[in-house]
Amino acid sequence: MKSLSEMTHYEVLEVGRETEGADLERAYRMARAAFAEDGLASYEACPPEEAAAMRERIELAYRVLSDPDARQGYDATLGSTPDDAVPIEFGLDPASDEDIAPPEVEPEIAGFDDLEDAEDVAFDGARLRRARLRHGFDIERIAQVTKINPTYLRLIEEEEFEDLPASVYVRGFVSAFARCVGLDAERVVPAYMDRFLAARPPAAGGRRGQAHASRQA
Amino acid sequence: MSLGGGKGGVGKTFLSSNLSAVLARSGKRVVAIDTDLEGANLHTWLGVAPPARSLADYVAGRETDVQGLPVETPIPGLKLITGTHGHLSMPQPDAETRARLLADLRGLNCDVVLIDCGAGAHPATVDYFLAGDDALIVLHPEPTSIENGYSFLRAAFYRRMELVMRKGDVRSLVREAMDQRNALGIRTPHDLLREVEAMDPEEGRRFREEMGGFRPRIVVNEVASAEDVKLGFQVRMVCRRFFGMDAEYTGYVNRDEAVREAVNLRRPVTDIRPQSDAAVYVRRIARKLLEAMP
Repeated sequence: MKSLSEMTHYEVLEVGRETEGADLERAYRMARAAFAEDGLASYEACPPEEAAAMRERIELAYRVLSDPDARQGYDATLGSTPDDAVPIEFGLDPASDEDIAPPEVEPEIAGFDDLEDAEDVAFDGARLRRARLRHGFDIERIAQVTKINPTYLRLIEEEEFEDLPASVYVRGFVSAFARCVGLDAERVVPAYMDRFLAARPPAAGGRRGQAHASRQA
Repeated sequence: MSLGGGKGGVGKTFLSSNLSAVLARSGKRVVAIDTDLEGANLHTWLGVAPPARSLADYVAGRETDVQGLPVETPIPGLKLITGTHGHLSMPQPDAETRARLLADLRGLNCDVVLIDCGAGAHPATVDYFLAGDDALIVLHPEPTSIENGYSFLRAAFYRRMELVMRKGDVRSLVREAMDQRNALGIRTPHDLLREVEAMDPEEGRRFREEMGGFRPRIVVNEVASAEDVKLGFQVRMVCRRFFGMDAEYTGYVNRDEAVREAVNLRRPVTDIRPQSDAAVYVRRIARKLLEAMP
């Protein structure tokens, strides 16, 4: 364990010597959140002045590493032993650092293995939520990408079928939602719509209702 | 394997009961033990009536052989040592009895002993926690739990160091450092490391090694948002920085009404609602624990 003054900027942000761009940005956001003054993660973890010192170092580390010129100059002072620069002693879990599956997964969320068992787990609202959380996305993020009203996304997760619009819309929402969280829409949509239609039979409204009525006629 | 976390009500017993059920269902012979002699209720989570013999009998000396304590549960392969019928004026066993108990537990005829530690950071609770080859700390995404979680980890850290230091003067230094307002100005594990190194380089080396070897697992229970999920990663970062501990974030469990339903039925949620959110998350944690087992 090193004292703060002995740590390199790379160690402060827990990134490797090669990390840059969006990955660096995410590492910085994560570190900033971890030690934020009013944050939960470091609440009562250490004397306040230690946390303040850490926050200062995080800002400095990000300023230097996100500026190519400053970073080059800083690297020169570190010498040519990049192995010493990455936090080996209490280093990142090698599995969680790089080979992180799909590109949309935020690196800090990876390291968890596949959520679902081999056994057959239903494609229900909870399954969508698990996939979402696994990627570290909040509802608003999915709403931004899919352009679907966040309220509907929430209702889909909660399976509050009564408050959702007609099934033709729901089908489209579920498909977009599934793709956004890395699930196979072709498997999710039929399974989800079965649940939807079982709880809200076609007679309850929309074009399906008419089809149902004409079948009875 | 042990489960602790400082604060009461964060889900230690929920997780203990469900993990032991999942491990047993996966073919391991499991003994779950409830060391909370003041508020034991692991038996209720598992649907076992308070049995005639319990850990309290061992602590009181009425039962000398720990082999005689486990009772059957409704789950095949899972046995339970309850903590009920405690002697109210002597809720925790002394250090000597604890050491004997923990040694005896290793002799039980099973694959996994899962220790459900009680709330608080009593030395006994900390010793049970440290006894696990794998130790899980259960947190809630709320300040009270995080605060107690860190004080529990701090207590566990100092206690572990006290146990591995060989020289008397170093041990007493570690003990002194446990007092957060100690006169030596030692406020953090890092301060302590520096003091130990200055006092005795060889002990300092052992201290460093031991710091790296203490790898508790973090579980965040009842997450409700992506922020809550990320909390575990942030706590891991804080642990690395301020405790020199390479904690692993092993998983989280979503807030799920199915859990309440299950406890009302006195059955593990992984048994009665295997498709529920909580069950899926618990199974994932169990898979990781199984992977780490010899």
